[in-house]
Amino acid sequence: MLTPQYYLVLSAAVFCTGLFGILTRRNALLFLMSVELMLNAANINLIAFSYLWGNITGQTFGLFVMALAAAEVAIGIGIILVLYRNFDNVDVTDATTMRW
Amino acid sequence: MVGIFDLAPVIILLPFISFLTALAIGNRLPKGGALTGITATGGSLLIAIATAVAVSGGRVYTATIYTWASGLDVVNLTFGVLIDPLSAMMLVIVTLVSFLVHIFSLGYMNDEGEVGLPRYYAGLGLFSASMLGFVVADNLLMAFMFFELVGLCSYLLIGFWFREPGPPSAAKKAFLVTRFGDYFFLIGVVAVFATFGTAAFSGSGSFPALAEAALLGEAAESVRTFGFEPQLWFTIIGLLILGGVVGKSAQFPLHTWLPDAMEGPTPVSALIHAATMVAAGVYLVARMYGFYALSPTALAVIAFFGGFTALVAATMGVVKREIKQVLAYSTISQYGYIMLGLGGGGYVAATFHLMTHAFFKALLFLGAGSVIIAMHHTEDMWEMGGLKKKLPVTYYTFVTGSLALAGIIPFAGFWSKDEVLYETLLHGLDGNTILLAAYAMGLIAVFFTGFYTFRMVFLTFHGNPRSETAREPENVGMNIKIPLTILGILAATTGFLNMTPVAKLTGLHIEFLHKWLEHGFTGLTVEHYGELLHDVAGYGATGIELSPILPGAVSLGLALAGFLLAYQLYNVPEPVAHTDRLGSLKTMVYNNYYQDEYQVWIATGFTQPLARVASKLDQGVIDGVVNGVSGVSLFAGSRVRRIQTGIVSNYAALLTLGLTALLVGLGLMGGWFV
Repeated sequence: MLTPQYYLVLSAAVFCTGLFGILTRRNALLFLMSVELMLNAANINLIAFSYLWGNITGQTFGLFVMALAAAEVAIGIGIILVLYRNFDNVDVTDATTMRW
Repeated sequence: MVGIFDLAPVIILLPFISFLTALAIGNRLPKGGALTGITATGGSLLIAIATAVAVSGGRVYTATIYTWASGLDVVNLTFGVLIDPLSAMMLVIVTLVSFLVHIFSLGYMNDEGEVGLPRYYAGLGLFSASMLGFVVADNLLMAFMFFELVGLCSYLLIGFWFREPGPPSAAKKAFLVTRFGDYFFLIGVVAVFATFGTAAFSGSGSFPALAEAALLGEAAESVRTFGFEPQLWFTIIGLLILGGVVGKSAQFPLHTWLPDAMEGPTPVSALIHAATMVAAGVYLVARMYGFYALSPTALAVIAFFGGFTALVAATMGVVKREIKQVLAYSTISQYGYIMLGLGGGGYVAATFHLMTHAFFKALLFLGAGSVIIAMHHTEDMWEMGGLKKKLPVTYYTFVTGSLALAGIIPFAGFWSKDEVLYETLLHGLDGNTILLAAYAMGLIAVFFTGFYTFRMVFLTFHGNPRSETAREPENVGMNIKIPLTILGILAATTGFLNMTPVAKLTGLHIEFLHKWLEHGFTGLTVEHYGELLHDVAGYGATGIELSPILPGAVSLGLALAGFLLAYQLYNVPEPVAHTDRLGSLKTMVYNNYYQDEYQVWIATGFTQPLARVASKLDQGVIDGVVNGVSGVSLFAGSRVRRIQTGIVSNYAALLTLGLTALLVGLGLMGGWFV
């Protein structure tokens, strides 16, 4: 049996990939994908600990988070569509009107 | 069973209802609300007479009607009614004069085709109601509230013809000048509450009674004098309240509003001068006489300013051109006499003069109103002359009033003025030099009074007509003649109510007013005031006896001298302005001794710069500190907000950095890296 360390390292790697995407990319769609990656990193953690303790609750949470992620993507895509309509591209550094 | 005293509030309510009616539906009423006003004041007059009859039977009445604020321990703020001989007498005077003025207004306002009559009658109704409320007030705070209402009504009525330039300005002046005095009155009221915890006029817990107990050293812990000697502190309070009296009763130096108030309709002048506004001041002193009698200093101040005002105003009356101006200065002068009487220890004399003056001054003003109608609203006496034949009723009643005003025996003014002077002299001879000085000024003023009164009569009614309108004057109706006749009879006869010199000579008990004021609440009677004056103020301490004959003869002689001088100079077919011979003196007197000028200078030359400096301080220093504090916040905010770039990546980076810093911090503290 694999020890949870492998899962946790995998999770950290996926999380860092997502974080790197958010910090470096300017395309809103890539933003959305990066956020999904980070979310899934958390999911991996939930499943790993559920597996470790033999408790099914973590897996249930994982299912919930997936449903949540699906809903979030729907909203995210909506936001990106509006962004495109207003600024004619999906570059996040262009949409800076909501500031002082 | 409803006693007559239970109807006392109705006396006030009737004119108030008339006010509301005239205000609400006055335009649809016949005569613009005059008839409701006449009915209301007539009803009040009947109840007031019935009340006076009940009081003459030896009954008095006091009741709290409404407590509008009850304090935690002792201070209650209430409205109440106090009916004693003094207030019953004043109720009759006020309702009678108000009733007659309403009738007269039919002739003066309605027949002359004035507009805005509902406003006029509403004002008259409220004016009467507030004065009656003031008269029956059973505590000082209620008196103050109605005092202010009276001031408001005078503002509304003096400024009745607000489309012309003069009246609004006169109304503002009357309001502001009396308000200046009322400012001190208000402080006085607060001082009374702070000192005694009550402002009631009558009863053992009233403030005059408490003050008396405190002065006599009887334990009165509830009296707080804030570290002053009781005598000194009571004098201070008395003088503060006197500020309101000086303003309302048009005493020097706050008399300047009254001559300007002549801009109002003449019936209003009659009401202001005879029964309401101006009478309110001296009535207040009479009402709380038990308090003033405790302070010789306050009494001396009252007497001195009264005598001074009587003299100064009388000299100003000598040179005036307009008939109403002469009457205005005579009012100031006569109220000076009343103050002189109060300060000189002549409580009955002053009350007596208040009553007789109410009648003859109302008569003179209504007579002047009649002349003004006849002259098509010309008031300059040099345009008149020879009106005697054309206006017989007005002439004879006016002469009656003038004889009373000048103090010619046996008309009303002689008896009361003589008694005022006699009492002052009597108490002054005890070695009170201030009273003697005040008496001397009052005595000299008698001469001027006789002179200016008959100068006015001769210029108006005698000689040849000096203008076209004086040759063909307009006729006046019955609604003018009836009030004049009633007041003429009263002005001729009310003097017989209290003929002290005759009583002293013959030994007959005919001092009816004295007897009238003898009964009443304990502590509010003439005897009690006499004891206080004797024991505390030291009036009559040496027990000098003085026959009233000689002082009476002197003042009568002076009045006659004034009359004869006026007769010599002005009872000729074509009189000339003899006062012009006074040269620059006349200019000074005609300009009222430049009283207005210096008061205007105080306002513009002193108060305004001071206010400007205060405004600078407020806007510069105080606002500067506040603005500085907010300026720092604003500046800091404008810098700090720049971290909100609007770029999502920056926010994410900051979030990450923050989380990392947090984790590193936690790790260092928790010792993870060891």
